[in-house]
Amino acid sequence: MALKKARRPKDSAGLNITSMMDMMTIILVFLLKSYSTSDVSVAPSDMLQLPSSSAQKPPELAVNLVVARNQIVVDGVPVLNLTTIPDEDNPGQYLAAVPEDEKKGQSIDKLYQRLLDKAEAAKALAEQSGSEEHAFKGRVLIQCDKELPFAVLREVMYTAGQAQFGEFKFVVYKTE
Amino acid sequence: MAIKRHLPEAEDLNLVPVMNLVTILIPFLLMAAEFVSLAVIDSTLPAIGPPVPVEEEPDKKPLNLSLALTHEGVTVLGADAVLNPAGAPPVVEGEKRPPTVPCKSGGRCTNLEDYDWAELTRILALIKDEYPDDENVILVPDSKLKYEVIVKTMDSSREDKSNRGPDGSSRVLFPFVVIAGGALN
Repeated sequence: MALKKARRPKDSAGLNITSMMDMMTIILVFLLKSYSTSDVSVAPSDMLQLPSSSAQKPPELAVNLVVARNQIVVDGVPVLNLTTIPDEDNPGQYLAAVPEDEKKGQSIDKLYQRLLDKAEAAKALAEQSGSEEHAFKGRVLIQCDKELPFAVLREVMYTAGQAQFGEFKFVVYKTE
Repeated sequence: MAIKRHLPEAEDLNLVPVMNLVTILIPFLLMAAEFVSLAVIDSTLPAIGPPVPVEEEPDKKPLNLSLALTHEGVTVLGADAVLNPAGAPPVVEGEKRPPTVPCKSGGRCTNLEDYDWAELTRILALIKDEYPDDENVILVPDSKLKYEVIVKTMDSSREDKSNRGPDGSSRVLFPFVVIAGGALN
């Protein structure tokens, strides 16, 4: 026993955290650099890949209309699912499309109802606040998957136009 | 010498509270970090687009620049005065007019890079030389065209990156985009 006690060092060695501090400081600087308080958030997935663009205009707050390859979402709430139709020009390939029974001519019925509700809510809010800043401008942020055919986008834009949303802002990834 | 021996040893700085602070800051900053930056492209419905200037020079016909996008390439419409001063070239009966900017591989464009974007920008810059005050362009895409092609067309028609001013900004061509509903056959 006496031998063992003699061999044990007097103080337990202190943890040297200086190198860890160095690392943390570097991470802190890096994270501060990529810090942002953007109004718009994107949840990328297999079904929603935004295109890249050289546009530089920053996004602003508006109704968020997401057109993924499998569904349409307004402000985080799914509105309807898209279907696929065979592509006549490329046999074996499929194109996304709005189901025929959801459409009235060009207009997508469910989306129209949802957007009309949004427009009316925004107008009521504008009336209450009474300020020019909150006036309803009919702005809508469109996040659209880059593989989608224009036919789907046209129907969505037409429907938004019918529901008094006439100012489209296409959300893209900024390059450079 | 005797005095020095009695001085207390310099203590290490206690970094543990700093560590605590930094460790809490890191998850918070990670949450707010943005690794992809977003931008938006403005567009309006054809009916309520930006107002077209009313005062037009009487000797100049108004430019209604349109780009028809198909799988075969991009056709520039409404600018024949610049592109074909001597009148449009004759088209063989029963054949379609070839697009102004055909695909690089000829025939059908297979992917985004197959479209000749540099050539499109060059042609639009020529049109801009003739109509410096015009800023609108109408896109007429084919129903099956992918959305990314439309975005790329908007990029090519917005600015000419090969022509930079003294301050490094590229030349603005036609920044106001209107997307029309139907494709021309």
